[in-house]
Amino acid sequence: MRPSASPRICDTLRWVVAALAVAGCTSGVAAADDREASFGRVVAPFFERYCVDCHGPQRSKGGVTLHTLKGDLAAGAGPKRWDKVLDLIERGAMPPETDDQPKPAERKAVVEWIRAALRDEAGRARKPADGPPAHSDLRRLTNVEYQNTMRDLIGFELKLVDDLPKDPFKPYTFTNTAEFMRLGPEQLDAYRAAARRALASAIVDPEKPKTFKKRQEWKPAPAPIPNDQLEPNQLGVWGGSGRFSVSQGTTFTDLPKTGEFRIRFQASAIFPPGVTEMPLRLVMGEALNVNSSTRRIEPVGTVRMKAGAKPAVYELRGRLENFPFETNRNQKGKPLPDALTITPQNLYDDGTLNDENGFRKPRVREFPIAVIDWMEFEAPLPDVWPPEHHTRILFASPLRESDPDKYVREVLRRFMSRAFRRPATDDEVNRFAKIYATLKPELKTIEATLRETLALVLVSPQFLMHNGAPANPEQKRYAFASRLSYFLWASMPDEELLELAAKGELDKPEVVEKQVLRLLADPRSQDFVREFSRQWLSLDKMRTVPINRDLFPRFLYYVPLGERAGTEEPYRPTIRDHMIDETSAFVAHLIRDNKSAFNVVDSDFACLNQPLAAHYGVPGVTGGEIRPVALKPEYRLGGLLTHGSVLIGNGTGSAPHPIYRAVWLREAILGEEVPPPPADVPALVDTAGASAEKAATIKDLLARHRQQASCNACHARLDPWGIPFEQYNAIGRFQPKVPKEGTRVSPFKTAVHKDLDGYTAYVNSLNTVTVGADARVPGGPNIDGMAELKAYLLKDRKGDIARNVLRRFYGYGLGRELTWRDRFAVEDMLDGVGKNGYGMRDMIVAVCRHESFRGHTELRKNP
Amino acid sequence: MTAKPWILDRRALLRGGGVALSLPVLQAMGRAAPGAAALPKRMVVSYFAYGAYMPGANNGVPDKVAKPHDDWSWWPCKDPGPLTFNKSSEPFADLKEHVSYLRGLDHAGGWTMGGHSSGDVFATGADMTNTEKQNNISIDQVAANKHGHLTRYASLVLGTEGGTGSYGMSKTLSHRGPGRPIPALHKPKEIFSRLFTPYEGESVEAVRARLKREASILDLLGENSRDFQARLGREDRATMDEYLESVRAIEKRVERTNQWTQKPLPKVDSTALNLAVPQTDPKEYIRCLYDMIFLAFQTDSTRFATLMLESEYSHDSATWNYATAALGYKGATHDLAHKRPIESGHWDRWRAEQHAYFLKRLRDAREGDGTMLDRTLVLWGSAHPHASHSGKNYPLQLAGGGALGFRHGKLHAFEGNKKVPLANLFVAMLNAADVPTEKFADSTGAMTELTR
Repeated sequence: MRPSASPRICDTLRWVVAALAVAGCTSGVAAADDREASFGRVVAPFFERYCVDCHGPQRSKGGVTLHTLKGDLAAGAGPKRWDKVLDLIERGAMPPETDDQPKPAERKAVVEWIRAALRDEAGRARKPADGPPAHSDLRRLTNVEYQNTMRDLIGFELKLVDDLPKDPFKPYTFTNTAEFMRLGPEQLDAYRAAARRALASAIVDPEKPKTFKKRQEWKPAPAPIPNDQLEPNQLGVWGGSGRFSVSQGTTFTDLPKTGEFRIRFQASAIFPPGVTEMPLRLVMGEALNVNSSTRRIEPVGTVRMKAGAKPAVYELRGRLENFPFETNRNQKGKPLPDALTITPQNLYDDGTLNDENGFRKPRVREFPIAVIDWMEFEAPLPDVWPPEHHTRILFASPLRESDPDKYVREVLRRFMSRAFRRPATDDEVNRFAKIYATLKPELKTIEATLRETLALVLVSPQFLMHNGAPANPEQKRYAFASRLSYFLWASMPDEELLELAAKGELDKPEVVEKQVLRLLADPRSQDFVREFSRQWLSLDKMRTVPINRDLFPRFLYYVPLGERAGTEEPYRPTIRDHMIDETSAFVAHLIRDNKSAFNVVDSDFACLNQPLAAHYGVPGVTGGEIRPVALKPEYRLGGLLTHGSVLIGNGTGSAPHPIYRAVWLREAILGEEVPPPPADVPALVDTAGASAEKAATIKDLLARHRQQASCNACHARLDPWGIPFEQYNAIGRFQPKVPKEGTRVSPFKTAVHKDLDGYTAYVNSLNTVTVGADARVPGGPNIDGMAELKAYLLKDRKGDIARNVLRRFYGYGLGRELTWRDRFAVEDMLDGVGKNGYGMRDMIVAVCRHESFRGHTELRKNP
Repeated sequence: MTAKPWILDRRALLRGGGVALSLPVLQAMGRAAPGAAALPKRMVVSYFAYGAYMPGANNGVPDKVAKPHDDWSWWPCKDPGPLTFNKSSEPFADLKEHVSYLRGLDHAGGWTMGGHSSGDVFATGADMTNTEKQNNISIDQVAANKHGHLTRYASLVLGTEGGTGSYGMSKTLSHRGPGRPIPALHKPKEIFSRLFTPYEGESVEAVRARLKREASILDLLGENSRDFQARLGREDRATMDEYLESVRAIEKRVERTNQWTQKPLPKVDSTALNLAVPQTDPKEYIRCLYDMIFLAFQTDSTRFATLMLESEYSHDSATWNYATAALGYKGATHDLAHKRPIESGHWDRWRAEQHAYFLKRLRDAREGDGTMLDRTLVLWGSAHPHASHSGKNYPLQLAGGGALGFRHGKLHAFEGNKKVPLANLFVAMLNAADVPTEKFADSTGAMTELTR
């Protein structure tokens, strides 16, 4: 419960004003009888006068009727409906602005009444008559959680997720939402197969396999070479030259398929003036020297080479299981053994690689060139056998010989206690000991039998499920430790957390706070930030939007030659990847520096690297690492609204898509729920700007759209939000001019529009009229362009923005969709973090410290 | 159940994929008796997303007057009666005697969900209007419950995206019942090995021994899980029911697999199949999924299959915007559906080509006195009818089943005042597949127009 009526500085947030007013009288609001009376006095006349014309016996717009509502909130459509009503009246969204408006005092009185009644209702215990709860929060691990948990459990990274059914996907909703998580027999099968794979690697056989070693060297050509070519040991941004060049990599056969490997190589780089750093990446898998887009590779690692450095020896490690071998090879029908190829890649990218249609040999020396002298491959490691991940499970002990049964029980107990994220009970150990005994006669060795037994531990619900509400108080503490770590690491708790849980220390809020800061400082929190940002902002679709090459020839890195010419380079990180990283780096930065949540709308910095900076037109950023860069107004950046990841994903690849962008803004930033287009609405004749060659002004199209009554009901509230975004084009660049209506657009000509200047001239010749980016937003002023949109949001919608960010953290942390009951917990937390400027890290701390996050069983009794 | 010796017909070189199959002729598969009565009756439901181009009124029924782009309408012709084929449906011209088009049918349960979401109920006809966020059993599972025991696999559930999706965004057509979607398989390699090499090189004896062990282990696993459930709060226990149900389903399957070890696995040679085909090559990928169904039918590994070709929420999949890879279309694939006739017509035609490929494979495979297509009912369509977001008047084509009582070659029109639920067709299909059915979803009887 919020502390009532403490004096506080009144800020402009409407909901706080309203909350204050109610808080003052909460204790005074009494029994239901009073409520019924006050309903008749305050609310019923209000509804009668302002609402029932549209939401009453005659009409029920949006399927909502209010004339039957009574003072008892639980009756009829229930508190859920009331919650919505409160939102709309409070926000001023209802009654619609075209209709008769209530006086501020009338509105306030109704808002106060509903709030007080809802709060009472939320505090009321659920009665059996309320029916069964909608769902529990107990859920299986998400695929990312599964992957990370396995990593922390077995001690090395194994790619297992690809073999699991995908998590359910819903835009703007987190995949960890318990309600969506299904677990059918097929899913269990997949878990079992994944567990078997993991244990086949984790538990090794007693005898160390023979070590496989190979070395390859590359030397400069004996005779001088032309200036536009590279030596065999050199690697340019477009690869190397010749069949025996280092760009072809090095291929092995007859090597083991499991175990840890080590690659060592000696390399240096030649830099053109002004460039100081280049990334060199190794990928491994099938060979890339074939014209096919189906080669499978996985990155091994990237090293950054600095200007002026002498040739140095670098080392990368990994697990062979994670790399795809080339199978089914044959030579003239004769089968060949499976092969694995290491290919080095020069990943330097200053954003101009596609200039002059990309591949022009004379330019190769304008970019850094890597020089690789030799490369060595060795597997399996290590010299100590069995490896540590093995002895972690099958620990060394004399018991193994003297009392094998006891030893196995101890192995099981230890493993299960880690896998279950709490001490395993004797019953549990006994049962798996029985499974072990069943399997032993057939599987013979202790290793083989344990692999199979432990694989079953890893399909048991104690491992696969979490976020439940155990009745036992001790288990509750462990469950809380898990809740923290799955929130902030997307993985299992570490020893420190579990120890604190064992000691009961996690009951103390100050300990929780300290732990939250520790978890957030750990690199494992990157997975949380990435997953959270990706899902909150619904970023995934930006990866698959087809970019129109004729309009945006410089944007993506294309394959210039061979049968794949013109397709997007599949083997290099592209600007799309950088953009996703940009967004998650930005969110990470806001959390790490405890920046205010309003930064999501506008900020004085952006997270950029060189290719991104080149794309957005920000000067002076070099190097591949994404880092905070101070912004100037003329860059037209700041906040999330102008991120390429957002703008591209909500465009068509040729043109911006104001409806998508409007939906995004309302969902992701303002926290509203935008209903999908209903059945039986006719299509928009021509979707906005989908065809480049037939330019029409989008504003007009949308206006036509809104003239149709069936569309207008929703789109009048939707489209205006997307119009200011029109200043940003389909690839997320500020482009305030567009082609004149009816212009036929002639495509880009590589011979003429060679480089950035040429391209700019082309774009300018095309785009001659200023885009219409002004619209009157619903319930707000006329807004012209992005800058005004941001200013308006930060002036009038701050409350919604802060609340939305906090609700996202809260919902993700709880692993469920929030309901009307969560309104008050959210407001409690907002009150707290508001005192310190709505810091994003403060928000996370507030969520973790909140009683509802710890023991949310109480809340869940009343969904 | 005793295994009959195999009679191998190594000349059976399949069309299309050029798949060399070391396949026994079907009569040799140890079925009780030769002759038509013992031959299998099969069913496929295949779905495509975003609807199809239908010029004319908002309900997708063609106008009386000719429109300039009728040629590109998804409907092959305007008037009910014998089929003629336009540009869009031309790939089926060769199959005229084997296909029917059904206009004006849909599931009322999907009406208010909006076209983008009613794919959820395409094979179930469930009423998801304003009710529980739950679906119901799909037509293939009704059939599988009845006849699934006759084959090694009760049914085959495929999709281009895999998994189950979520409410309003299903990625599978098949559901065991309310809240029990069956995840679609989408990786050709995995599908192939599940179907044809499930023992992973083990001998049958070893497999049997393993299954026996498996049964007792699952018993213990179930015990462990029930204990765990007992210690949970009330609402969590309901969630655990789903888990326990899955364990029981696996137990049943183990028993069933054990019985099927009495029969030899079909030998299917995979060398000519490109099981690693990427989704970025949509034509080959989709054909590969169709090949999997074909091979499963040909080996009588299953008789009921569903295939969800793309869902409308594919943002996280390589099949999102796959028209770019398929047609070189530069915009977003979703927008094609809202586009000018020629563009969406080409897309419709492309999709028709892939489906026609499958039908032709079935038609060209002999079985008994006829072809496999004669004994396979293939329903193909979308629950998102046309360019608007409507959920009414699905594009629907039924093919095959000539030996099961279906007559083809016509366009049937059901639109108008006398609303016939699509479920009536489902009832007719189920009955034709020897699944006596009086009612399915909101059916009002069995459709007779195609079986007369």
